[in-house]
Amino acid sequence: MSNRLKVAALTAAFALGVGAVPALAQDDVSFELWTKEGEADGSLQWVQKLADDFMAANPNVTISVVQKEVGGSESLRQDFQLQSFAGNPPALLWTVADHIGPFTAADLLLPLDELVDNAAYVPGGVSAMQTPDGTTYGVPINVGNHLMLYYNKDMVAECPADSDALIEAAIANTDAEAGTFGLVYRQDESFWLVPFLGGFGGVVFAEDGVTPTLDTEAMASALKFMNDLEFVHGVMPVEADYQIADDLFKQGKAAMTINGDWTLGSYSELDFEIGVCPIPPMVGGENPKPYVAGNFFMVSKAVADDEALQGAVIDFIKYATSTDVQLAQLETLKRLPSNVEALSAPSITENPLLAGSAAAVQNGIPQPTNLEMRCVFDAMNVGVRANAASADADQVQLAADMQAAAEAGVAPGGECAPE
Amino acid sequence: MFDFEAALTALTDVGLTLLVLAIAVVLIEAVLYLVLVRWRKSRMALPFMLLAPGIIAILVLYGYPLLYEFNLSFTKMNIRNFVEPGLLGLTWEGTILEGTPLAAEEDIFVGLQNYIDVFTMPVLRQTSVYQLFLQTIIWTVVNVFFHVLLGIGLALLLNRKMRGRTFYRALLILPWAIPVVASLQIWRTEFNYEFGAVNQLLGLIGLGPVPWMSDPFWNFVAMILTNIWLGVPFMMVITLGGLQAISSEYYEAAEIDGATARQSFSKITLPLLRPVLIPAILLGTFLTFNNINVPFFINAQQLETSDILVSGVYRAGIQYTRFGFGAAFAFVVFGILLLFTIWYVRQTKVLKGAYAS
Repeated sequence: MSNRLKVAALTAAFALGVGAVPALAQDDVSFELWTKEGEADGSLQWVQKLADDFMAANPNVTISVVQKEVGGSESLRQDFQLQSFAGNPPALLWTVADHIGPFTAADLLLPLDELVDNAAYVPGGVSAMQTPDGTTYGVPINVGNHLMLYYNKDMVAECPADSDALIEAAIANTDAEAGTFGLVYRQDESFWLVPFLGGFGGVVFAEDGVTPTLDTEAMASALKFMNDLEFVHGVMPVEADYQIADDLFKQGKAAMTINGDWTLGSYSELDFEIGVCPIPPMVGGENPKPYVAGNFFMVSKAVADDEALQGAVIDFIKYATSTDVQLAQLETLKRLPSNVEALSAPSITENPLLAGSAAAVQNGIPQPTNLEMRCVFDAMNVGVRANAASADADQVQLAADMQAAAEAGVAPGGECAPE
Repeated sequence: MFDFEAALTALTDVGLTLLVLAIAVVLIEAVLYLVLVRWRKSRMALPFMLLAPGIIAILVLYGYPLLYEFNLSFTKMNIRNFVEPGLLGLTWEGTILEGTPLAAEEDIFVGLQNYIDVFTMPVLRQTSVYQLFLQTIIWTVVNVFFHVLLGIGLALLLNRKMRGRTFYRALLILPWAIPVVASLQIWRTEFNYEFGAVNQLLGLIGLGPVPWMSDPFWNFVAMILTNIWLGVPFMMVITLGGLQAISSEYYEAAEIDGATARQSFSKITLPLLRPVLIPAILLGTFLTFNNINVPFFINAQQLETSDILVSGVYRAGIQYTRFGFGAAFAFVVFGILLLFTIWYVRQTKVLKGAYAS
């Protein structure tokens, strides 16, 4: 009763050769799996299939799959925090890397070093789930989550060589009156700013990994480049959130889009042929550097007291990240596996789309997973949205405002202040 | 495919909750019966028994959260300090039963610092409480003004004899009947720059397009337009009820005396609508001031220039996980509304009729 009161107070394409599911412990257990995956690309169905297959092989286990957002309302992060505080959290999360910062800061996750063999997974994926003291709090489901350039081969023959070629190809394919655009991407989220910032030589944090470095010439240049795409070159819609950008590309009304590897599965099934490559290098700059992370399992600390529940949760993680399941996931969702053995399969090395995705990963930089990143994302979001809203946006001032907001968040007393 | 098993589980959960509530009510009533009827033989037993479940529900659902939040407002509870705050920073969970002294497990008590920060630091990423207050005042005044103006205007039209009056009434009440979340999702889509109906309609008359979602000014206008659409039916229905209670004899007498339509409106209609309109305006002001639905949905890009105090409280407390600070901020907003209420009640004497003998 009191837990409920606390809450009141605070306010898949599937079935492709998935291997046999091992039968496990016999105690009746049930748990919730919260996932950030959605229905549109079949990923939610994939999660549900994994749960169903596991339950079929283990009749004593009941898994309830619950979909939660990580963009927009961020219901997964916020609800997990509140439910944990209320003492009734879901046992298992299937979510993005940046949640590791706030969740470990609040001590909500179960350390997994003694429960899972880290050597079975790609080192970059494992390190993304480790706190500075080396404790591992997550298991990689797939590596990537990186932004890259998708292009409609009916409109753009090959990947533009550099940013000038990108603009040229976008202009050639833009007819705003007919509702077709050369380039679309999500304009209201700073995750899409990060590659361009890197392309102009900027970084989000100083070498210490916690001091924001947003008020820089590189940031102003990146914002100016994005603003020019919209208002000078006119190759983008004036207002495009994720759904609109995604729909325009899927409907063949946008020649190119910048989106994450999570859409590779659905985009490869479109009526037209697509190409995939890294975001082209900036003229006079460098290769854009998207954040690389992936999707991860995280286990609630609340399962530590229930041996049977903890066993079932860990067994499900091992099943979902086993080689056969990871290769089936690759076939279904076109996501690069986190399992070392699966990653070297010919189905990856011989597939041009996956090879393009792998090339984009090479340009990427690991996404910081500390709590400070949360405040810096929030601070950059304000500037990104203001920049996308007006042809008259002052990028130098926006960069300064971002820095001030980020510094306030990580300063002593700020909600993202270091421990 | 319909998941019968999941539906059955959900219904079972709901059924069990209702069963527990029913048992609790029976127990409360039984205790009250024994105490008030059998033991005290009180004449007030029946009223107390009828009121008890409601009073207990209000205390549990409103009283406890308010006290909890008030205590929270004196702590620095946030994502780094994600612990049960205890009373004024003292955490005793587990220690009393073990017989150990009441002690702070972790000192997160910060006194009045959160209240000071509300007035001296940005409450959001870049926005101060003063800017949010100004935005809230503009939001509330503009909305309530148009709610009253259009509500009275439409009520006067619908109060006249005309063909299809019932149809028009139903049509105008429609915004009120549609679930708010559903209508706000629709409005958010219709305000899209390229593909929304609003800009396409503006294009037909040679205007626009307007960046409703990304431009700070136009996003604020979009929020106001949506809330006017949502709020007018409430004011119209209240006013219509008031109009129908005015005897036609007053108007007949005025007509005999040679009063014009404007005079009849200002000397008869408005004064006689006052007892209905003043509480409705007070209620409308509170509902608009505290309306988080419209800013939350229409401000899809989370522009701080479109936030009002209550959406700012949500953002500061939940989105930015500054629970202690957010609680203090919420009480500051509560204080502002309390002061307004006292001023409004004194100015309009709105409660006089209710309590006069």
